[in-house]
Amino acid sequence: MILDGKVPSGRIEEKWDKHRFEMKLVSPANKRKYKILIVGTGLAGASAAASLAELGYNVEVFTYHDSPRRAHSIAAQGGINAAKNYPNDGDSIWRLFYDTVKGGDFRAREANVYRLAQVSNNIIDQCVAQGVPFAREYSGYLANRSFGGAQLSRTFYARGQTGQQLLLGAYSAMMRQVGLKKIILHTRTEMLDLVVIDGVARGIVTRNLLNGKIESFVGDAVVLATGGYSNVFFLSTNAQACNVTATYRAYKRGAFFANPAFTQIHPTCIPQSGEHQSKLTLMSESLRNDGRVWVPKNPGDKRDPRDIPEDERDYFLERMYPSYGNLAPRDIASRAAKRVCDEGRGVGPTGNGVYLDFADAIKRLGKKVIEERYGNLFEMYERITGDNPYETPMRIYPAPHYTMGGLWVDYNLMSNLPGLHVIGEANFSDHGANRLGASALMQGLADGYFILPYTIGHYFATTKLEKVTTDHPEFKKVEKEVEERIKKIMSINGKKTPTQFHRELGKIMWNYCGMSRNEQGLKTALELVPKLREEFWQNLTMVGEEGDLNIVLEKALRVADFLEFAELMLWDALERNESCGGHFREEHQYPDGEAKRDDENFCHVAAWEFTGVGNKPIRHIEPLVFEYVPLTVRSYK
Amino acid sequence: MGFFSYLRSSILSKIVMAITGAILVLYVIVHTAGNLLIYFGKDTLNSYSAFLHSLGPILWIIRVVLILSAILHIITSIKLKFENWGAKPTKYAVKKYLKAKFSSRTMIWTGLMVLCFVVYHLLHFTFRTTNPQHYYPEFYQPHNAVSSVILERFDVYRMVVLGFKNPLISLVYIVGVIIVGFHLDHAIQSMFQTLGYNQKHYFPTIQKCSTGLAIIIVICLISIPISILLGLVGGGI
Amino acid sequence: MKITLHIWRQKNSNDKGHFETYHLDNVIEDMSFLEMLDVLNEKLVAEGKEPVAFDHDCREGICGACSLTINGIPHGPEKNTTTCQLHMRKFKDGDEIWVEPFRARAFPVIKDLIVDRSAFDRIIQAGGFISVNTGQAPEANSILVPKQNADNAMDAAQCIGCGACVAACPNGAAMLFVAAKVSHFAYLPQGQPERKRRVLAMVEQMQKEGFGNCSNFYECGAACPKGISVRFIALMNRDYLKASYSEEKLEFAEKE
Repeated sequence: MILDGKVPSGRIEEKWDKHRFEMKLVSPANKRKYKILIVGTGLAGASAAASLAELGYNVEVFTYHDSPRRAHSIAAQGGINAAKNYPNDGDSIWRLFYDTVKGGDFRAREANVYRLAQVSNNIIDQCVAQGVPFAREYSGYLANRSFGGAQLSRTFYARGQTGQQLLLGAYSAMMRQVGLKKIILHTRTEMLDLVVIDGVARGIVTRNLLNGKIESFVGDAVVLATGGYSNVFFLSTNAQACNVTATYRAYKRGAFFANPAFTQIHPTCIPQSGEHQSKLTLMSESLRNDGRVWVPKNPGDKRDPRDIPEDERDYFLERMYPSYGNLAPRDIASRAAKRVCDEGRGVGPTGNGVYLDFADAIKRLGKKVIEERYGNLFEMYERITGDNPYETPMRIYPAPHYTMGGLWVDYNLMSNLPGLHVIGEANFSDHGANRLGASALMQGLADGYFILPYTIGHYFATTKLEKVTTDHPEFKKVEKEVEERIKKIMSINGKKTPTQFHRELGKIMWNYCGMSRNEQGLKTALELVPKLREEFWQNLTMVGEEGDLNIVLEKALRVADFLEFAELMLWDALERNESCGGHFREEHQYPDGEAKRDDENFCHVAAWEFTGVGNKPIRHIEPLVFEYVPLTVRSYK
Repeated sequence: MGFFSYLRSSILSKIVMAITGAILVLYVIVHTAGNLLIYFGKDTLNSYSAFLHSLGPILWIIRVVLILSAILHIITSIKLKFENWGAKPTKYAVKKYLKAKFSSRTMIWTGLMVLCFVVYHLLHFTFRTTNPQHYYPEFYQPHNAVSSVILERFDVYRMVVLGFKNPLISLVYIVGVIIVGFHLDHAIQSMFQTLGYNQKHYFPTIQKCSTGLAIIIVICLISIPISILLGLVGGGI
Repeated sequence: MKITLHIWRQKNSNDKGHFETYHLDNVIEDMSFLEMLDVLNEKLVAEGKEPVAFDHDCREGICGACSLTINGIPHGPEKNTTTCQLHMRKFKDGDEIWVEPFRARAFPVIKDLIVDRSAFDRIIQAGGFISVNTGQAPEANSILVPKQNADNAMDAAQCIGCGACVAACPNGAAMLFVAAKVSHFAYLPQGQPERKRRVLAMVEQMQKEGFGNCSNFYECGAACPKGISVRFIALMNRDYLKASYSEEKLEFAEKE
């Protein structure tokens, strides 16, 4: 099937304005007749919930956390992009659009990206009005800094906690509506399935994590804002609870999953120290503004980094990408780091690490300035590793961080299932095959504050919805399926814990579908994953009760979905027989190791349709047309 | 509830604690300074005392303000304490304090002990019920008198000296004053914090001054019974 | 490293709860405290026993989900560090560690080390926001914020809502949490129109939730993993006093 992204006609600068005018409206009096279910309370979910409730819709919000403020958006450190051009360095909506399309290696929908760049400025306005304490100059004006993948300073930031401050802004806007009784908030409630009635998404089935109660909720639209699936790698920079269940369940109910193989590996994470490790910690990309990345020139050089003389160091990013240097985009920087480590020049006990050195910056700017800029990050590094980065270079290594893939949505952020809207990292739309730094916050908030509130109204105004309640047989059927699945998991009487399965799955995925992939490896993984999944259903050990707070059961349910989802990801990686952005197929590279796209055959979105567990899903495509940013080889040299 | 409706508010209660506390602290400072006049001899102290008595209605206003402050301070503190106990029904099996000093954690107890001490102090020196035998009048000739008029006034000096010559009474006073010191150590800086005067630049100084002032008051006050016991003051009586 | 753990186990809110002792032999210095508990839990699950339930998520010290009172200090002995960022190299071989939930009446225990901190969410609902609808915002640079004020606001806004302040306070008071939010907005021009209403509403809710009063122990600031200063409590006291005798107070009282 050829999918239609429903991109409005007209010149790209006018598409969104024209579309906004053409969309049908719901009158204020009618808005309160609609109920919207929003799953997830990160930047996208919270901002959408607040904005929709302000408009007058009835909103119910679901989070598996104890508080909506715990969502993992909170961990974003570096900043948020906007095309304000305050520094007068040549930025514009057009340039942000161009950078994002190019940064995404030409695998995103042009019109979506342009709209994202357009609303980026409104986001900054909105956040400032909410009281987000962005960094300021002495004059009181907003401060900007540069970030990976851009040659100008367009990033707004609040120390190293931009994600936290933006999330708290959206969270407080949402809590205001909870206080006004416009939003019903369900905490410690995990969505376990989607209910589709006559082809239309009408509700969800959840599990109350405190008492195991399975409940149904009905709505006129369902919004998934459930984030990404980097935890399929077990070790990633995502939070412990981040999982694929909500989007994967929607996929199993008929929503298409787009580009699942597009995962981003972040270059600046603290390297793994041992088997016990539960997660990888990201060090903000902003560190690359002042830090210089290097490895010893000679393989196996085990000297103290401070004793290695200048001429025996290889500042490989500066050497390979002279114009962007240490600020090369994430996928490029990550692969470069992998390449030098594969050459045996990696540092640290595992050999999987490169230095990020601040000695020059400290010499140039003084320790005080560096402390002001990165103090909290340096402290965090020291806490985790026990090394002091003011004295000795940091060690960093790439780690899974963000997933560009997600549920397929059209220009209105609605999936192929009418009524099912997907926003933020959970959808696939704006970042193509690679996301630029400081763009995730921008996209999450753009979707929630400024896009979904318009498009969802259009959906209501143009759709006749039957009145249904949770007594509908379809709800009962899904509830029963969920209950049976839980019973089945509880009854497996095996030996291995859910975490063990998760760790094994992660290893398979990292080895065969990680930073670089090849046909043979992917085929191997396609054999290993179903085997592991089979073992899971035979040999899982389970404790506790299903009707109680049961952390093992929670984990097992998430791992069970990862085990199915992993296969989908492998299929996508295998079928996309080209390299682009974060998806690097070893068969397709230029002699210097850069990714080689195949625009003739793969200039499209691959959206997968579920056909049964273990079966190969059906691959649909949405062709991508680049009218405004000509397809070029992405070069950062 | 009228005036006492402030008790419903956590922060207003604290502010009442701080303001009444401030009044009491000021009184303690003035009282300490007055007591030190003992070192200037019998005449100075006794004429200071006579001066205070001569204030008449003003003295009574001061007394009423002090009594009201003390009552509000006590009522409010007890109400706060009960609420605080209620807010932490289960104690930690292991608890390590990071900042809270011994003096901070014992405010309610030092406070109640100070109350007992003040009651005793009033019975002893103001109502003169515990040791009425120390009460003597003094006959003196005013400095500015034109003729040899002899006037009568209360001999505070003699009363204090006779009282503190009793080691037991001195001990009660020394212990009582040290307890007051502990109470003040926390109280003075706490007052500034509660009333909203805490800024990174000067608050550490306020905290040090709080302890310093408490120590000075304690030293000044206990120096009197010690000096009397050692015979340095009031040897002639 | 060998570590002996005394961990609070409590089946549910009605259970009385008790300590249970566990011995771990292969604790590695590079482990975080929670990874050490992961190892314990894996062991327990493999033995068919219920693992120790504790809240955690981001494991990088920002989500505020992790809690635990470790050897009598919320988030353990290291200054300005959440439990998830506390590493075992801060302990010695053979150490005995007492692990308890955050204790306060307003934070009832749900299970083992998990407590209910939803009171914080309700305090934010009461007034921890600036009432601006999406779309109302003026151009960002039309609101100037002196750098000093922005820095002060950020110092306060760093609060992660973990509840360590309440856990550390002998009175179970939430003053630092409330003060951090009140001060965050008090330092910004955007926060001025609602300044008085906000402090009245948030303090009112704080009291309704059953938190204790402030005794100026300053335990909260010392235990705060983000190092939020108690000077914000002073600021809140001042704001509250001003608000208590303002027109906003009369209006607020009527609404109540």
